[in-house]
Order: sequence, then C-alpha cells, then structure tokens
Amino acid sequence: MNELMVTTGEALRLLVSFDPALWEIIGVSFRVSLTAILVSLPPSLLLALLLARVSFPGRWLAISVVNTLMAVPTVVVGLVLFMLLSRSGPLGELRLLFTQRAMIIGQILLAMPILTAMLHSTFQSLDQRAWETARLLGASWFQALWMLIREARFGVIAALLAAFGRIIAEVGSAVMIGGNIEHFTRTITTAIALETLKGEFAQGLALGLVLLLLALLLNVLLGVMRGRGQQTVSV
Amino acid sequence: MLEVCHLAHGFGRQPALWEIPHLRWRGESLVHLQGDNGSGKTTLMRLLAGLEVPRQGTLRWSLDDAPAQPPPCPGRLLYLHQQPYLFDTTVAGNLHYIARWNGWRGEAMRRRIDEMLERCGLAEHARQRARSLSGGERMRLALARAWLLSPRVLLLDEPTASLDRQAVRDVAALVGALHASGCAVVLSAHQPSELTERCDEHWYIAHQRLGVETREAPLPA
Repeated sequence: MNELMVTTGEALRLLVSFDPALWEIIGVSFRVSLTAILVSLPPSLLLALLLARVSFPGRWLAISVVNTLMAVPTVVVGLVLFMLLSRSGPLGELRLLFTQRAMIIGQILLAMPILTAMLHSTFQSLDQRAWETARLLGASWFQALWMLIREARFGVIAALLAAFGRIIAEVGSAVMIGGNIEHFTRTITTAIALETLKGEFAQGLALGLVLLLLALLLNVLLGVMRGRGQQTVSV
Repeated sequence: MLEVCHLAHGFGRQPALWEIPHLRWRGESLVHLQGDNGSGKTTLMRLLAGLEVPRQGTLRWSLDDAPAQPPPCPGRLLYLHQQPYLFDTTVAGNLHYIARWNGWRGEAMRRRIDEMLERCGLAEHARQRARSLSGGERMRLALARAWLLSPRVLLLDEPTASLDRQAVRDVAALVGALHASGCAVVLSAHQPSELTERCDEHWYIAHQRLGVETREAPLPA
C-alpha cells in the first residue's frame, strides 16, 4: 500500500513537473489519434449517410458488417496490417511498418466502424422532413447534406468522442505496427506496457492517470452531448 | 398551371387510394382540399410537390413562363408539412438559411428578413430558438420562410390542425395575405375553419375520386 502511495506521488510529480519524456509520449499519442480521427471522419460521414438514407440491395448486410467490425480486436487489426506492411508483405515496398503513418492507418481502421455505426444511427433517427424541407426551400444537394450534419451535430460530436476514446486507449495495433520506438512511435499505452515490464511503475502510472483523466473528460462530454442530442430529437 | 392526367397512387400492393382521370387548375385560387382521415389528402399534396413518384399517370406544372414540367420546382412550388420542420437554430437563423441557399447576401437581405419577421409577428422572437415556439408561432415561422421565397404555389398540409382559435385566425390572415400577394394556395383540412372559409375553390376526395367545386371561370379546353 505504501509503495502504491509513493509511486502515485512520483507519477503526479512527473506530470505536474512537465517531464519532457512523459509529455513527448503524450504528444505522440494525441498526434497519431487526432490525425486518425480527422482522416476517418469524412468517409465515415458519407458511408453513414448512404446507409441511413439510400436504399440499395445488400444495405442490411453492409450495416451488419460495419457493426461486426466494431468488435474486431485491436491485435487482429495489428496482425493484418503487420502482414501487409512487413518487408515480405504486399505493401512492404511502402516501408511504413514501425512508423507513425502505419499507426495512423491502424487507428483509422479501428475508428471507422465506430464512427460509421454511431453516425448511421444518428442520421437514421433524424427527421425525414429535414431533408425534404431543405430541398424544397432551395438548398442544393450538398447544402442539404451540410444542413443534415449540422442538425445532427451533437450525435456527430458524440461519435467522434467515442471513437477517439477507443483509439487513443488501444495498445494491440500500436505496439505491433508502431514498434514502441522511443521518441518516435511510443504512445501512452505502449509506454505503460513497457514501463511495467521494466518495473518503472511511476511513469506507467502517470501515463495511466492521463488516460483516466481523458476517459473521464470524454465521458462527461459524451453525457452532455447525449443530453443535448436527445433534447434536439425530442422537440 | 397544373395539369394532371390519369393520376393514381397507393402504397405497396394495396389498391390505389384514389384516381384522378383529369384535372386542370389555373393555379391562382385558394383551394381547400377536403377528405376524411386516410382518404389520401397528404399523399396527393406530396405528389403535387414532387416528394412522391406517382404509381400511375402524369402531373405537370407550368409556373410563370417556364415550360410544363413535373415537380419538384424548388422555391416556386413549396409544400409545408402538417408539422413544419424547423431547423435547430434561432427564428431568424431559419430565414438566414434560406437566404444563404438562394445566394442572397448583404444589407438588403437582412432588411428583407427583418421585414418578413415583422409581417409574420415574429420580430420579438427573432433570437429565440425556433423549436421553443408555440404551435401557432411555428406555423407562422414556416409561412415566413416560404414567403421569403415568393413562391408561385404553396401546398399546406393541415396547417391549422391542433391550433387554438387565435392561432387559426393568425394563420388564416397570413395565408390570405400570401394569396393576395400572388401565391396560389392548396390547403388540406378535414374540418371547416376560418381559414377554409376564405377558400374560393374546393377539391374533395370521396369514393376514391377527386371532385372539384370552383368559383373560377372554367379553363378553355
């Protein structure tokens, strides 16, 4: 118990003293995950709108596939990407393995199913009259589309927060295709795993605290967004 | 002018709700579309607006000098849902959306929006969230949005359903003013009201047919 208290104290000291090594790891994590989210958003928005608003053969199969992909373990995504990007793999020429770009690709693959599924359910619950009204009042196809996204903004933000929470906390894909290289591909989760193996619990705990605080913040924001979204739908 | 030939519509494999062998409408009058619940008034309105594709037959609008065309005709032919959809922004923001979509900018546009809010009795609510308005105010905002576009024809689906007497009176006055400004109106209602009393033409759906009673001069064949 005493050791835990000492380690927690040391972890807090590292955090508040802006320990460069610690904050560099946090910086890499946020850079990789924010890039992955920003890249994932436009295709997920379009795919979700297509699934929610357009009838085509195989639509329900496509929705089932998206929902299933949400449950794919991160290590499986890491494994598949490792096989594709390793030197002997079909994309080995690109020399992406153990780079931040590879980690971003992995996180895009993890974020897109969550974003698409949540956005699909948001757009499906939007009132059909919104689109009709905008088009009748002179909105072009793209203006009406932008208006739909604005009307669903709380749901869109909630989906972004949920997907961001998942990818910044994942370790399987990051360690397999990032390689946990110091000053380059070491992220919060891969660093925690490494520090724990080395017996350096303070830095691991400090990074864990960052993730915990982030999870708390995301959950509070999600709660606020859900509340606002429900208010918007109910009127 | 509206020209309808052998129009029929229904849902799925169910028989057609009604059939309209032929209808020509000059597009100038204030029309009351009557019919019992479930008789297909809303379906007819949505077909006229181009929001549904008819199972059978054709309908064409020739608005102003434009050649006859099937709906939709955005901006010129407007349809208001029974409960109009208001965008999740302020009352004035709802009108600004339309201005932006139609490429209107500048001070003149702002003045026109203020004038429209004033005309529809919503000036003091301009900064209020649109969805916090009462039923009557919501309908007035929907009419203000439509009026901003100076439509040629306005299709109103049960505009006074679930409104109190004063709200019906306000909506009737606005619809009358809109009509007087040169906009033809077709409104559906299954109960007579101050609004339907203003109508100079009556269309009624009964026994799967559309009947017309008019005070207008007949169109040349």
